[in-house]
Amino acid sequence: MRLIDIKNLRVNIPPMGIKELTALVLLFNCLQLEARPISYSGGSTFMMVSNNMQDSAYYHYSPTYKYSLGIQHIKDKYFNSNYSYLRFTYLLNRRNTQNSQRNLYFQSGLSSDGLDHYFYGAHGDWETRRLFVGFGYKKTMAETLDYIEQYLQVGVAPYIGEYGDLHTWLMLKSKKNDLTSNWDTYPVLKFFKGNALVEFGYSDTSTWDIHIMYRF
Amino acid sequence: MKHFYYLFLMMLSISAVSQDHAMHDMEGHDHEGHLHDTMVDGKLLKVNPERFDRFVSTLKGKQVAVISVSGMVCDFCARGIEKTFIKDKTVLKVDVDLSGGKVLIAYSPDKNINFEDIKKKILSNGQNATDLQIIKM
Repeated sequence: MRLIDIKNLRVNIPPMGIKELTALVLLFNCLQLEARPISYSGGSTFMMVSNNMQDSAYYHYSPTYKYSLGIQHIKDKYFNSNYSYLRFTYLLNRRNTQNSQRNLYFQSGLSSDGLDHYFYGAHGDWETRRLFVGFGYKKTMAETLDYIEQYLQVGVAPYIGEYGDLHTWLMLKSKKNDLTSNWDTYPVLKFFKGNALVEFGYSDTSTWDIHIMYRF
Repeated sequence: MKHFYYLFLMMLSISAVSQDHAMHDMEGHDHEGHLHDTMVDGKLLKVNPERFDRFVSTLKGKQVAVISVSGMVCDFCARGIEKTFIKDKTVLKVDVDLSGGKVLIAYSPDKNINFEDIKKKILSNGQNATDLQIIKM
């Protein structure tokens, strides 16, 4: 075995310039996300979501990296009701390459309201350290009304951070809910550092779309 | 709303330019100290040198495993790797080199490093370990 000469090791790392962004994150630290529906084996995740349709808190545990089980409590603004979902998410497919990862998930939930209130769907993503593309489809069956939610999301990282840095994504999200009819497209900012992730978007029609996530 | 889109497009442009520059830096230019010439067991060792230097600075006499990992595209998804390995009492320190696609693990000198065990631990986080290089410091 040959030893390496550590003293001669050098590399160029692009400048980060992220102090201002840290301040922004702190401003919005009361704010979740669907993009990481399964944690590492034995890991837990806590998420909060707030948008024009609902406020929710979601905890899930991943016995393996293949699936997660969780409970989500929802304050439904559209139907003016409160209920909880017992949720199950399964990783259908993942492809890892040196510079990218692609995921396809099945998601489902059974409501505390009864067996005739549940949802199922799929979401997927492909990302590199620079680019992100994601989609989601979710059909909810409820006593009062069945509806479908869909979204598409693309993003770019303005700089490539290293492990432990604050990471930033500029994204564009387009979503449609049968209850509100039209596609709504709006910009989204996503930040993460360590085990915490924050995402917030704003549109004229649906106002704030805020996600916060902590993994432990 | 238009302002948001203009801002987003502008940031996309900036990002594309900075990526071009990064690619330019990576393509065949002779920056001092690049690791392209460094061989361990007949294989090139490609790590972030500053990060590696910092990691091994207190590891004289220890072993360092440099693991190549595929699918490790973000900091948030790599967190579980650190948490998994640090549970092992023979592991002294863990670091992740995102740009090199490497996980660095410092082991005690007497540890028999097993690549199959490492592969299982990396897979439990959802990524794949593709190569292992062991350096005795």
